Amino acid sequence: MSRLRRREALWFYLFASPWVIGFVVFLLGPMIASIYFSLTDWDSFTPPKWVGLDNYVRLLTDDPVFWKALWNTFYYAAISVPLGLVLGLWLANLLNKGIRLRKLFRTLIYLPTLVPLVATAMIFKMVLAPSGPLNDLLGIFGIPGPSWLLEAVWVKPALILLSVWGAGAATVLLLAAMKGIPRELYEAAEVDGASPVRQFWSITVPQLTPIIFFNLIMGLIGAFQVFSQVYILTKGGPDNASQTMVPLLFNEAFSYYHLGYASAISWLLFAVILVFTLIAFRSARRWVFYETEVK
Amino acid sequence: MATAVSTAAATRQVRSTERTVGAKRSTPFSYATLIIVSAVLCVPLVFVVSIALSSDQTVNANTFTIIPREFHWENFTRVFGTELPMQRFLLNSVIISAGAVVGQVLSSGLVGYAFARLRAPGKNAMFIVVIATMMIPSQITMIPQFILFKDLGWVNTYLPLIVPNFFSNAFNVFLVRQFVSRLPSEIDEAAMVDGLGFFGIYRRIMLPMLSPVLIAIAIFTLTATWGDFMGPLIYLNDESKMPLALGVQYITSTSQALQAPPWNLVMVGSILLTLPMILVYYLGQRYLYEMDISGGSAGVK
Repeated sequence: MSRLRRREALWFYLFASPWVIGFVVFLLGPMIASIYFSLTDWDSFTPPKWVGLDNYVRLLTDDPVFWKALWNTFYYAAISVPLGLVLGLWLANLLNKGIRLRKLFRTLIYLPTLVPLVATAMIFKMVLAPSGPLNDLLGIFGIPGPSWLLEAVWVKPALILLSVWGAGAATVLLLAAMKGIPRELYEAAEVDGASPVRQFWSITVPQLTPIIFFNLIMGLIGAFQVFSQVYILTKGGPDNASQTMVPLLFNEAFSYYHLGYASAISWLLFAVILVFTLIAFRSARRWVFYETEVK
Repeated sequence: MATAVSTAAATRQVRSTERTVGAKRSTPFSYATLIIVSAVLCVPLVFVVSIALSSDQTVNANTFTIIPREFHWENFTRVFGTELPMQRFLLNSVIISAGAVVGQVLSSGLVGYAFARLRAPGKNAMFIVVIATMMIPSQITMIPQFILFKDLGWVNTYLPLIVPNFFSNAFNVFLVRQFVSRLPSEIDEAAMVDGLGFFGIYRRIMLPMLSPVLIAIAIFTLTATWGDFMGPLIYLNDESKMPLALGVQYITSTSQALQAPPWNLVMVGSILLTLPMILVYYLGQRYLYEMDISGGSAGVK
């Protein structure tokens, strides 16, 4: 290697050192420690006690709350993510028509996503109250509204409702992508006599699949890690009906000081996210359309 | 570049003069739907304002209405008085967010530039690791990091929420790298011929050009730390250190069992939490869209 090349490499390592140090100190080191903790029984006050795979075995075979939390997390992700995408797509399509005041509508739809989660949770605490506006609205139609956050059956739909309120984030991305679809495609379809509905399904949706896929992955990862809403609104109750993986992990770690057990939960969470991401990527080959492949 | 812009403008002009084709036609039905959807989405926001303007009597009687009936604007000054430490919360939020933003901007720019331009053995392997780390949920490192910061004596200080940002974040490094990759490398070469060293090139040539992407990173970091709840919840238990996001929730969870939380003041807090985000979005959307990372996937496929 020439002297100049060596000097350049040295500068690279120097410039990249913040990332390297951060990677070792805040990621790699903690990851290794976390694997070790997950194999111990540890309360942070006395030395860790090696228990092998006991934590994992107990979680998977002997902890009904863990299974409930896992199920609730799936339930939440399986409904909130597709629902948010469908609504986002529908709204983007509406906004994409030659509509007046488009900027105003786009802003109004996007506004809720700018509200920080903590504030969102505070707002929905009031909106979902037994005598809150949502139940008032249902009352107009003669439907007696439930006490959303206090009933085991309704608490998950309530959290999903809260997540759907932020569908505007997907809308903006999808709208931006829609504007990039070549107009000629629609013109050609028009000439062939395709109806607007047919055009939506045969042109708009396939052209948007990459961005839909991106939203799906990010949405799934986010949904599996839902925390603040649950923690603030229900603390996982009633009867663990809204308990999800991360609040459970948080409680085990910082309320009960079961640091080993909590570490095991974090690895199972990682496994779940990994499996779903891989499934999504696998299936993507069948339905995600990349223009570069055709060129 | 200039031709591309003018072509785009020309196409846009052609498009706007064209008669809209079928799929793009709007109907009264579309307007009705949009009006209803926007109204439904904005009702909670109106409700928040209504609660924030309510009197204490209304709070105690729990007789809020969606459309504000009373206008107790003094609630907005009350939270800065002695009643609640909202002032302190707000200041803490500013300190933590500013620290985080400075850290990310300084470190991500440098690291991203290095990955885009400088040649070194092992660089590509390192970049694969950078990308791979994006997949790891933060919960994995949550407990060991807590132990680390506890051993350092940093619990109940701002440091655990600020310091990690000085070591750059994989996504931001990726953004900067993509951005730099699309700048012509002749710029650096010319600067080098003129006798600038690598740091000089970064500092004098690159940094000014990176401003759109660095502003975007600043916005992402600001929105993430400003609204962050879990981090402060783990590390801060002293009321005087809490940022607004934690403080607002803290007020509701610590009120006496028999007494309702001061919902009007809590909602003032929520509004204070939200307004900067709206402002940041309003001022920054130009940069978020300008950044355009979609077309810059060259080299990562």
